[in-house]
Amino acid sequence: MIGKLLQAIGPWGPVLFGIGFLAPLIAQSMEALHIAPPFGLPSIATGLAIGTLAGLIAKYRGSWV
Amino acid sequence: MNIAVSEPGTAAPVGEKSDRELAREELTIAREYIGPFPVFMAIWGLGNLVCWLALWPLVMTGTLSLWIAFPLATLNVVLCYLPSHEAQHSNYAKSGEPLRWLNELIGYVSTIPLVLPFKTARITHMDHHTYTNDPERDPDYGVKAANGWQAILTNIKRRQFGKPNSYLVLLRAKAEAGDETAKRAMAEAAVQTLSFWAILTALAWGGYAIEAALLWWLPRHIGMSYISLFLSWFPHHPMNEQGRYRNTRHFHRWFGNIVSLGMEHHIIHHLHPGIPLNRNAAAFRKMRPILEKRGCRLEG
Repeated sequence: MIGKLLQAIGPWGPVLFGIGFLAPLIAQSMEALHIAPPFGLPSIATGLAIGTLAGLIAKYRGSWV
Repeated sequence: MNIAVSEPGTAAPVGEKSDRELAREELTIAREYIGPFPVFMAIWGLGNLVCWLALWPLVMTGTLSLWIAFPLATLNVVLCYLPSHEAQHSNYAKSGEPLRWLNELIGYVSTIPLVLPFKTARITHMDHHTYTNDPERDPDYGVKAANGWQAILTNIKRRQFGKPNSYLVLLRAKAEAGDETAKRAMAEAAVQTLSFWAILTALAWGGYAIEAALLWWLPRHIGMSYISLFLSWFPHHPMNEQGRYRNTRHFHRWFGNIVSLGMEHHIIHHLHPGIPLNRNAAAFRKMRPILEKRGCRLEG
C-alpha cells in the first residue's frame, strides 16, 4: 500500500518538495539573511510562491538540474 | 604459509605455481584476515550515528554553530555507509550466530543519515558482486563515466526523480519473480523514504528548515556523490572488464587511502568480501604477489 502511495505521489514529488521543504527553507533563509520579501508579502508566502514554482518547473522538465 | 616470502627450496616462487596452488594460497591468506569480530567497524558504525544524532540537539539548543555542524554532518553521512556494507556481507555475524542481531542492527541504523534502506542495499550489493561491470545486471553500472567529474555529474543526474532507479528496477524484477525478500525490501524502502520526507517537512514547517537542510538534506546529497565516486567509480573504472581478477582495480592517488574510504584495496573486498574493510590493506600487501600473477589491475 505504501509502495502504491509512493507511486501515486511520485510524479508530484518535486511540487510537494517545493511546498513541503523549499518554501519554509526559503522563508527562514530570507529571515535569517534579513532579506525583505517583495510587495510586502510575508516571507512564507514568498517561499511558497518560489518553492511551488520551482517544483512545477522541475516536474515539467523532469529533473531539478 | 606465507607465499609472499617463500624461502628458496621450501616452496615454489609465485610465478611457478599452478592455478590451484595460487587459489589455495590466496584463500589461506584471506582466512587470516576474515576471522575476528570487526570491532573497529562496529564502533565506527554506531559511533558515527551517535555523533550525527547528537548534532541535532546541539544545534537546536544553540550549543553548536550550524556552520560547524554542517561539515560534521556531511562527514557523518560520508562515513555511514561502510559499516552497513560490512553488515550487508554479514561480517559481524552470520545468520544463526549469537551476534546476528548486532549485524542487522548496524546494517539498519548506521545508514539512517544516508536514508539507505538496508535490505535494498544488501540485495542490490550482492548483485553488484555477482555481476560486477555487467552493463545489464550490475546495479552500479550506471556510475560508469570517463573521469571523476563526469562520475559526479552522472551520479547527480541518476538521482533525479524522473530517472529510473536501478536499485528499484532490480528489486521490482525480483519481486515480480516471487522473491519475498525483495518484496519486503521494497516495503521497507518505501517506509524509510516516506519517513525521511515526512521528518524533513515537519522540521521545516516547525521552524527548523535551515537546520534540516544543513544537517541532513544537503549532507546527504554531498555524501551520495562522494560515496558513489569513491566506492563505485574509482575501484571499477573504466568498468569494461568482467571476471574475478579484472573487474576491480587497486589504485593509488594523491588523496590517499583514508580520503578514498579505504577503496585503494577494494580489489581485496571483491575477491574476499568476508575480510573487513580495516584489514583489506594488510591482506592486500600479503596477497600482492598472487594478484600480480593473476594479472590483476594493480595501478599504484
